[in-house]
Amino acid sequence: MKKKHTMLSEIWRRFKKNKQAVVGLIVLILFVLVAIFAKQIAPYWYDDQDANRAMIAPCMQYPFGTDNLGRDVLSRLIYGSRYSLSIGFLAVGISVLTGGFLGVIAAYYPKLDNIIMRCMDLFMAIPQMLLAMCIVSALGSSLFNLMLAVGLSSTPKFARVVRASVLATREQEFVEAARAIGASNTRIILHHILPNSISALIVQATLAMAGAIISASALSFLGFGIQAPMPEWGAMLSAGRKYIRTQAYLTVIPGLAIMAVVYALNVVGDGLRDCLDPRLKK
Amino acid sequence: MSDKILEVSDLQIRYVTDEETVRAVNGVSFTLERGESIGLVGETGAGKTTTALGIMGLVPDPPGEIVGGSIVFEGQNLLTLPEKQMREIRGGKISMIFQDPMTSLNPVMTVGAQIAEVVLLHNKITKAEARERAKKMLEQVGIPGSRCDDYPHQFSGGMKQRVMIAIALACSPELLIADEPTTALDVTIQAQVLELMRNLQKEYNTSLVLITHDLGVVAKICDKVAVVYAGEIIESGTLKDIYTDKRHPYTIGLFESLPDIENDAATLKVIQGSVPDPSNLPEGCKFNPRCPYATEACRSGDIKPVKISDTHMVRCNRFSDTEV
Repeated sequence: MKKKHTMLSEIWRRFKKNKQAVVGLIVLILFVLVAIFAKQIAPYWYDDQDANRAMIAPCMQYPFGTDNLGRDVLSRLIYGSRYSLSIGFLAVGISVLTGGFLGVIAAYYPKLDNIIMRCMDLFMAIPQMLLAMCIVSALGSSLFNLMLAVGLSSTPKFARVVRASVLATREQEFVEAARAIGASNTRIILHHILPNSISALIVQATLAMAGAIISASALSFLGFGIQAPMPEWGAMLSAGRKYIRTQAYLTVIPGLAIMAVVYALNVVGDGLRDCLDPRLKK
Repeated sequence: MSDKILEVSDLQIRYVTDEETVRAVNGVSFTLERGESIGLVGETGAGKTTTALGIMGLVPDPPGEIVGGSIVFEGQNLLTLPEKQMREIRGGKISMIFQDPMTSLNPVMTVGAQIAEVVLLHNKITKAEARERAKKMLEQVGIPGSRCDDYPHQFSGGMKQRVMIAIALACSPELLIADEPTTALDVTIQAQVLELMRNLQKEYNTSLVLITHDLGVVAKICDKVAVVYAGEIIESGTLKDIYTDKRHPYTIGLFESLPDIENDAATLKVIQGSVPDPSNLPEGCKFNPRCPYATEACRSGDIKPVKISDTHMVRCNRFSDTEV
């Protein structure tokens, strides 16, 4: 127990040095807190409609304005963080697990390589959005199925990235040395290969999280997944499109929110990769 | 007391690709007793490392393929052993030190964890005990136990090789295979590492197969020498047999190409030509294209090994009729 603690504090010590990553982490934590305490923070319920106060530009009472149905954009944004963040994390979690697993297996067992990777190519040939739509319509539209669809449809990308970096790692001499001390394949994969190829995966995951939020909102826009009154950021973005010339804030504000999260994820991912890799330690 | 621990006989290993078949090891045989050490000497590409990988059961397949022979270790033929049992032997009873310590350690694991890993794999003990053992091993190879939690990049090359030795000896193996353990190190560190290896080998009564192209290293720590050329042992014997009574033209050539401290010749003698392409080996004696004494008889057929004495063997036609 004690050892684990010192290892974590060591990682934290190195992470702290990267100021940008710390800022990113703070932003991310803020968003997560907002999502958790949405009820306490939001001034209105996300679906409080009032035609009398439709399309009010940002002012003191409505800091981010109101939309065409008179709903407070700030409140919708706050509630929306729940959906957007969980979609981002879970969808990417799904693709990390499936893609990572398939990629490692393909790279480590040359006999399975062709079978797995040609299947992945097959999936890559289908546009990702179309694939996701097929999955949601086959499973029925719900929040979880949406995540599943977004996650599964980007599995091939993860499989490729992981396979490439595992292929490079498995030729390293320390893998042979691990075999020479009698380590089993599972052990070699989990203890020697994965930790050495994880950085590519972390970067890919943080980038994909942004993509996942966007594609989830695109799907919501098309009527799959998140349904109308629910305040998902992407859905808000596309709903505001119609008014972009007169009420630009309806698209800009959810867009900024997505951007802030994506930026935070990227710098945190970068920082994480640097501090998890002892070779880059100064 | 004869206590045979390893008997390699007629080992043949090939690398088969679409374009060519590389005959890396062609009938290597040698025996090793408990606590004894043998040096496999030869040029790059002679098949020394492939032999070692064959003993470990680590010949990459494909393209590698063991086509014949047997490797008997403590009465078991390793070539027919199932993978699971082989895994227990690797690291536990036979361990290997690799050529390049820079790349043979996992860069993202602490050295302590890497030593503890092999201990945990082969002994039923707790993690804390394995860690203690790892610390003890580190101290035994001359590294303070407090550096247990450091990563490989925080160590110098010589220290990394010490760590490799600690890993290899952590389970007190019966047999240690060292594949050019000092090639990647500078000369002063070489001497230290060799000294350490020899002391630990004596202490644990481990048998040693040392692969090297450095005759000086062999002279320092080996009891027996086998000179490997194009996948064959062309001469073998005790240290004394080879160093004072060498017979094979290739062995003689090897020794002549060493600088001598007493004889300050401006140029050293070299063996003409270069090692034959293992995918296209010459007929008969593999050395015949480079041999100054080659005759018609050398260019065809198998060259039989000839016994010069009980311990000394040479594979050369020049000695086939002269019974010594």
